[in-house]
Amino acid sequence: MMRHDLIVIGAGPAGLSAAIEAARLGMDVAVFDENARPGGQLFKQIHKFFGSKEHHAKERGFRIGEDLLADAEKLGVAVHLNATVMGIYEGREVLVKHEDETVHAKADAIIIATGAAENMIPFTGWDKPGVIGAGAAQALMNLQGVMPGKRILMVGSGNVGLVVSFQLLQAGCEVAAVIDAAPRIGGYGVHAAKVARTGVPFYTRHTVVEALGKDRVEGAVIAEVDDHFQPIPGTEKTLDVDTICIAVGLSPMSQLADTAGCDLVLDRKRGGTVPVIDEYGETSVPNVYCAGDAAGIEEASTAMILGRISAIRAAEKAGFLGAAEFTARADEYAASLSKLRRGMFAPQNKGRTDMTETDEGYPLSKSLLAHGFLEPNEVSAFPCATVHEVGVHPVIECTQNIPCNPCQDACRFGCITVGDDIVKLPVIDETKRCTGCGMCVASCSGQAIFLVDEAYEPGYASVGIPYEFVPVPKAGARGHALNRAGAPICDAEVVSVKYTKAMDKTVLLTMKVPAEFASEARFYRD
Amino acid sequence: MSIETKSASVIIVGGGIVACATAYNLAKRGMNDVIVLEKAEIGNGGSCRNAGGVRQSARDVRELPLAMYAVGKIWPTLSDELGCDVEYVQKGNLRLGLTEAHRKTLEAHVAKSTRVGLEVEMIEGDDARAICPAMSEEVLCASWCPTDGHANPLKTTLAFYQRALQMGVTFVTGVTVTGLRKVRGRVRYVDTDDGTYEADQVLLCAGYESQGIAETVGVEIPVVPRRNEVLVTEMCPHLFDVMIGVAGGEFYGGQTEHGSFVMGGNNGLEAFCSEHHDRFSTDSITAPSIARGILKYFPALEGVKIIRTWAGYYDACADVVPVIDAIPEAPGLVCAFGFSGHGFGIAPATGLALSEILLDGASHTIDVSALTYDRFAAKG
Amino acid sequence: MAKIIRRAPETAFVPQPDDDLIICRCEEVTKGDIRRVVHAGLSTTNEVKRWLRCGMGLCQGQTCQRNFQGIIARELGVSPADIGRITGRSPVRPATITTFAHEVTEQKEA
Repeated sequence: MMRHDLIVIGAGPAGLSAAIEAARLGMDVAVFDENARPGGQLFKQIHKFFGSKEHHAKERGFRIGEDLLADAEKLGVAVHLNATVMGIYEGREVLVKHEDETVHAKADAIIIATGAAENMIPFTGWDKPGVIGAGAAQALMNLQGVMPGKRILMVGSGNVGLVVSFQLLQAGCEVAAVIDAAPRIGGYGVHAAKVARTGVPFYTRHTVVEALGKDRVEGAVIAEVDDHFQPIPGTEKTLDVDTICIAVGLSPMSQLADTAGCDLVLDRKRGGTVPVIDEYGETSVPNVYCAGDAAGIEEASTAMILGRISAIRAAEKAGFLGAAEFTARADEYAASLSKLRRGMFAPQNKGRTDMTETDEGYPLSKSLLAHGFLEPNEVSAFPCATVHEVGVHPVIECTQNIPCNPCQDACRFGCITVGDDIVKLPVIDETKRCTGCGMCVASCSGQAIFLVDEAYEPGYASVGIPYEFVPVPKAGARGHALNRAGAPICDAEVVSVKYTKAMDKTVLLTMKVPAEFASEARFYRD
Repeated sequence: MSIETKSASVIIVGGGIVACATAYNLAKRGMNDVIVLEKAEIGNGGSCRNAGGVRQSARDVRELPLAMYAVGKIWPTLSDELGCDVEYVQKGNLRLGLTEAHRKTLEAHVAKSTRVGLEVEMIEGDDARAICPAMSEEVLCASWCPTDGHANPLKTTLAFYQRALQMGVTFVTGVTVTGLRKVRGRVRYVDTDDGTYEADQVLLCAGYESQGIAETVGVEIPVVPRRNEVLVTEMCPHLFDVMIGVAGGEFYGGQTEHGSFVMGGNNGLEAFCSEHHDRFSTDSITAPSIARGILKYFPALEGVKIIRTWAGYYDACADVVPVIDAIPEAPGLVCAFGFSGHGFGIAPATGLALSEILLDGASHTIDVSALTYDRFAAKG
Repeated sequence: MAKIIRRAPETAFVPQPDDDLIICRCEEVTKGDIRRVVHAGLSTTNEVKRWLRCGMGLCQGQTCQRNFQGIIARELGVSPADIGRITGRSPVRPATITTFAHEVTEQKEA
């Protein structure tokens, strides 16, 4: 029988982090993953991540995957690919399907880090070709280089729906609408805003009632819903789409924990049926742990820490880590976790609808929650979004408390401060001079920072925007400026396009607009 | 009967196919003052975990009357009777042998069964392959019983349940029976985690968990849990209708109407391994063992995908046939357990026999006189 | 699941306009199928699964379980947590009979 100190199931953020941590402590670790390539969902993620600097924030997801893999390789962690764990049995034994064989392996501890699966909602025609999961659409685009369709309806406005909508736009698809049955957009406002400003309409309190078409999707009927999420007759709208993307949440994949005999519980806040776990992720079956989305749907940033926590616990129990050192690390990781698990999107606040202001006491934008963009009068409540110093300066339209702070390190002149509590909104120090370098624009994972100069030329202002589409317009190009809602508001001329390697694929595109549109123009289109 | 009542003429402990079939037969006779108490859900034990064999061949002659009655008089019309297709297919049972030793075993079964009137014969490998062409050339011989068959155990169990429910039987699930108690010498109380229930007669048919309950009124029947595992494959084009058994014991099973293959077996070490009955956990060696068994006889199935495995515990009795008997030492108690892994096919007949024991004091339609509770004795 | 359920006798089934909606794609089970059997007395996720085959297909309920549990629970007026769930079983991904038959217990050379 093959034996290891630790078996990790799943080579995503939680699993790889756990394996790296355990290997550093001297454990013999084997990682099994059913996929042909490691990284879990990370390699599909081409957007920049949120979080704090020490947790890979502002790095693009696939780079985090590359970093984790490099670390694992350096430490000699064996990552077995195309190796599907079929079941966990008594005595911490796993059966692994590898090629045409069934491999038996045992370990003193097992960490289940199998991630999550996409939820589906049934509606008339949902079984037609052309109805796909948002994660599947992402895999098609970002791994296979295939466009999932030409015109897309995105169902679900959580972060997955918003991020994938943006990536669909980047891939050249049209997004006809983003809809959500809830009365408010579920994901980060900044993710919604970057989609909305390209002109994509958001319909909250709407559901998809039918996929039209004979053999495949040729249209979608959406309708408004009542308080019980039932479609209201007479409110139907038909959208001309060829693809319906479903992003209505994720369910933890707890089947392996079930085969191991772990006690499971249905916990909606954690996304579905999950193992009962203690603070270290240990299940009711001693020495079997569960970390990452498999233990409860959260972000990759928390998954990486949860993987490490389970690993140090397993290491301590197996004698690879002393009690004092274990406690110190456990405290450190717990502190990191609590930094990330704050703000209006934290797991403990899931489903809350009673929040009306930010931690700072600013009124939350209702329009952002309902339509995906800030109304001009709402912007004015936020000091960081309404700076008017002379010359070029940042305007940060960051209006929700989410755990993220790369912007404060981006400015080498110390213009931007978030502070220790990383869910706080950034504060701009107007006494510090802005050089217009654009590093803060590129560092903001939410693409919420703009560089504005109200007096760029007599009668004209310049607005620098983060731009992640190809082809990148050239300086001198003329087109339109779009407002936050994606409506063309004025003519615009691209006056500069700035890009350095450190900006990591986010271009600072500066356009010249009539001065009165300085605080409205937020996107450019030829 | 009020919805919350806890007393009835008959309480049935256990909610498997024996319970449901008995409840149905009682109700059919007009007796629906019956409460069925089930710990988990309907058919949670062996009733929904077996491979669906409806077989007379290779049975112990003591339970053959039940099997022959079920096949002759009940199964052919059961779908109509219950108003639901229980997927009964009567296309025969082949019990395969690979060696001369297997041939001897099979011949002995055939001889015993023929003596009590069962139509079963020995055939050669080629004859078996003519009946079931997908079979390996290695098969040397087989016993062939054309009147055997198979059915869908899930549907059969739940169909009996639904009919009994419609006819007024009360079913309570999620209730654990902790013991029985006597009043003035008669078994009357059924203690549960939902309080005490009360009945004139108690039928105990809770599979491997029955013995623990029976002993609370001093009844000892040598029955222990024994695990078997079953695997089910993806849907496949139709290959054969016969039910397959093998003299070597590697596996048993068949192809369902739905197209999946349902095949069960054991690893031979179960009696000596630690067990967790409540969660019906599979182990790491049984499914591979069954898979090797299947390929030995049906190499054509090599590329078929297994989509699920599960485990069940059957109530293994010391002499491999059940006790179906009223217990004179504990008046008011009727026991029906120890089916030893072949209770499904006879369950419709068992339900009839038990309804007669409960209503008339004895099974008069089917002879169950060899299945008494007091037949066990120490050796020597 | 240990909730005590006293099975109600059959209650009247009231059709709904979307009863023909497919809920389990693998086994083509509709919402109406599910609602009807609940009215016929089936009261847990597993009983409904065993009767209708929903969740018994290739996906083993990964896609449909959440949805059909919701339908059962709504019909019964209980929480999905009270009606049990499909047990996760090996193999959590389909594997051929050949794969199962070929066991490896020793480390192979890389």
